[in-house]
Amino acid sequence: MEAKKIRLWVSYFICFILSGCAAVASSPARHPAKTPSDARIEKKESREAKPRPREVASLHLTEQGQMLLESGKVDEAIGVLERAVSIYPSNGKNYYYLAEAWLRKGNVAQAREWNRLAGMYLAGDSEWSPRVYEQRGRLHVQNR
Amino acid sequence: MIFRKSTKKKIVLSLWLLSFFIVLGVLLYCLYLSILIDTRFSGRRWGIPSKVYSDSTLLFPGQKVNQSLLINKLRRLEYRNVAHAPESSGEMRRGEAFVELYLRDLEMPAKRQKGFPVKIAFRNQEIESIIRKDNGAALPILELEPEKIMLFFGPERQQRQLVSIDRVPKHLIHAVLAAEDSRFFEHHGFDIRSILRAIYINIRHGTIRQGGSTLTQQLAKSYFLTPERTFARKIKELLMALTMEIKYRKHVIFEIYLNEIYLGQKGSVSINGVGEAAFFYFGKPVENLSLAEAATMAGLIKSPGLYSPYVSEAKSREHRNKVLHDMERLGYITRTQMDGASQEPVKTVGFTAYGKKAPYFVDYVSKQLPTLYSQKILSSQGLSLYTTLDSQVQEAAENALERGLARLEKTHPSLKRSHPEGKLQGVIIVMQPKTGYILAMVGGRDYSATQFNRATQARRQPGSAIKPFVYLSGLDQFTPATELSNEQKTYDVDGKSWKPHGKSSDSGKGIRMRDALARSDNLATVDLAMKVGLDRIVDTVKAFQFSTPVKPQPSLALGAYEVIPLELARAYCTFASDGVEPYPLSLKTLVDENGNVLEQRHMTIQNIISPAKAYVMSDMMRSVVTEGTAKSAKNMGITFPVAGKTGTTNEYRDAWFVGYTPDVLVLVWVGFDNGESVSAEGAVAALPIWADLIRAIPQYISGEWFTMPPGVVKEKVCSQSGQLAVERGCPEPFEEVFLEGNVPAEYCQIPEHRAYSGEVLKTWWKKLWRR
Repeated sequence: MEAKKIRLWVSYFICFILSGCAAVASSPARHPAKTPSDARIEKKESREAKPRPREVASLHLTEQGQMLLESGKVDEAIGVLERAVSIYPSNGKNYYYLAEAWLRKGNVAQAREWNRLAGMYLAGDSEWSPRVYEQRGRLHVQNR
Repeated sequence: MIFRKSTKKKIVLSLWLLSFFIVLGVLLYCLYLSILIDTRFSGRRWGIPSKVYSDSTLLFPGQKVNQSLLINKLRRLEYRNVAHAPESSGEMRRGEAFVELYLRDLEMPAKRQKGFPVKIAFRNQEIESIIRKDNGAALPILELEPEKIMLFFGPERQQRQLVSIDRVPKHLIHAVLAAEDSRFFEHHGFDIRSILRAIYINIRHGTIRQGGSTLTQQLAKSYFLTPERTFARKIKELLMALTMEIKYRKHVIFEIYLNEIYLGQKGSVSINGVGEAAFFYFGKPVENLSLAEAATMAGLIKSPGLYSPYVSEAKSREHRNKVLHDMERLGYITRTQMDGASQEPVKTVGFTAYGKKAPYFVDYVSKQLPTLYSQKILSSQGLSLYTTLDSQVQEAAENALERGLARLEKTHPSLKRSHPEGKLQGVIIVMQPKTGYILAMVGGRDYSATQFNRATQARRQPGSAIKPFVYLSGLDQFTPATELSNEQKTYDVDGKSWKPHGKSSDSGKGIRMRDALARSDNLATVDLAMKVGLDRIVDTVKAFQFSTPVKPQPSLALGAYEVIPLELARAYCTFASDGVEPYPLSLKTLVDENGNVLEQRHMTIQNIISPAKAYVMSDMMRSVVTEGTAKSAKNMGITFPVAGKTGTTNEYRDAWFVGYTPDVLVLVWVGFDNGESVSAEGAVAALPIWADLIRAIPQYISGEWFTMPPGVVKEKVCSQSGQLAVERGCPEPFEEVFLEGNVPAEYCQIPEHRAYSGEVLKTWWKKLWRR
């Protein structure tokens, strides 16, 4: 209780001090200043916003896998998704569909493994994260 | 008179009876033959060898390629070079920065695709674009057909592709009739006119120039009878031909004949039937044969050894023209057609004799088959086995191993052995960590010398290559920044004293866990193992599903127990795949001759450790390559991020290197089968082979590193205290990765380093919020 009070007072105090500052004085950085190589990396990262070629190829296979899955060709879908994973292992959508395929095959244990990976790789994706959680829910129900 | 009359009567009666019994005997014999023929014709007519295929090859724009490996692959796929733009299936034209192909029809269990012309353009060892030539579309991905890597032959070693008579072009049928039996559709299996003509021609020339056998007789001889020339066999052949003609329609007999006839030799394998021969000689399906090619093939029937265009082009052409002449004489073709075809050269596609490619891998695949599929079934049922093998990687692996071992023998002449079975050996296993696909497997130096697959059957001590599993066991208690003792100590284990062997570069000074692994410090590793507990290390090793027994003995930490190379490669995959261990997959699909899937295997994974631990281990093993025992890798052209571990056992009996990226894992082992010393460490004997191979397969090198998963944090650490670094206070801070729950709690406590009060305030602030 005491600690909570101190935290609260300290927070008010800092807010008060900061609000009075016209300009923020440069505080000592914990990490070294940006070097030219860091700038190069940032530039590279901005270029990498464009999908990598292997990402594009992998996504093409993901779509094929998805279509096969939707048409009920589960084994064929898994085969295509495996190739998609092999081209670009960081494509989390493949893991989502692999979980879906294994779920349809009735192998919940495998489906859970793939769902876990999907969750990891799609963590920052606002469109896919809910789908992964929804899938996890279904897996949970199946497992019961 | 009466007596003579009755005697005559008796003789006549006897003759009648004799004739009756002979006819009855012949009829019964024909009935027996009829059953024999029925049994063969109604069941499986031929044993078709099963085929083992590599995986299909995926190409896409932006992909790095090793052009020479790709071109070799296309050659093995029997794409033939042409000077013009490819116009028909199987043609290829190479330019300086492109290759044009007319793809063959892709027929795989889950995919069927008609062949089309395509241009693959290269720029700076990358695929720049893939353009469909027939419609100009840019393709995002292209799949090349799987490569045939082995055929399971039976004792007869015959290869044939069955064709139905509807697929056989008219001019081939006419050519065969003209060459062998022009009255086939008129006689009943036996042609007296042909026999008389053959006798006349042979007497006139004084040698045997012509045979009188009909197609049906030839079929009976080749299909049912032995090749010896006896009168009894000739009678049997005749009766069989007659029976066949009574029982079966002409076109059925003709179709069986076209699939049965012997048409040449591909190494030790005989080519039977027009379907296989069309590919063997002309590289195309039988329906696409030209008139000249059909006549060449029909001309072969008489004596493939003599008239094969691979033996003598001149003789083959001469005989082809004779067939064309007969076709014209019989009215099958016009004179103009004959003249046109006679002028054509005899163009063949060339061939590579069947050999067992990737032999150790194929042996491993065979062992993966259920016991249901015996050798007899494999050599006769025409099954297709689709595998995970990447034939480009396999070629690179075989080359790298052979070059590497030869180089070692050159630099260390004491390693040379004269006896092939006693030579220095090696293993290479290439796996995709995420999928578990075995991309390549070399189980020894020379399969013809020894078929013992060291990749899957050898049990060798891993030496220091086991250390990552020891360090992994300690990750819950310690961090990569923890200082371990590297003092020479004697340990008390179960009442016995044990002193580990090994040196430490800075013995007694202490060494951080990351550096201990990077430098493969034995004393520090034993210190860690003793702190963690041997039972815990045993549990870790067991969790990775090694099949070899492991005991809690102190030397375990230094790799003094046996592993199977494939199992070690599989275990390392776990570090490269977010902590999940894949099942090592070699056989993907087994399909029967009608395309029905009999077996289907997929990648399966099992979670062994957390993604965070896998990441921390990979990060630590990256130091092995950047500053540890494998730092010579950068002099070998390895400039992209790699994690790995060297291994060397006592007396240098085994030399290992296991290295990986997020995309590919390669294990290399070098040693002698009898355990003699290789006189070199893993970094000297195995690492150069690894580097040689990895440089040759740029398509598997993205240059990317692992994404940091949740549960891992990076913090700056003081190099002296191992605690969180005080900015501008600690003289040599460095960045280290930690498991989230295992970050050092305190800022550096060394008084001189704590002078900067800002950091003290931060520590106070942090403590306040953690309370």
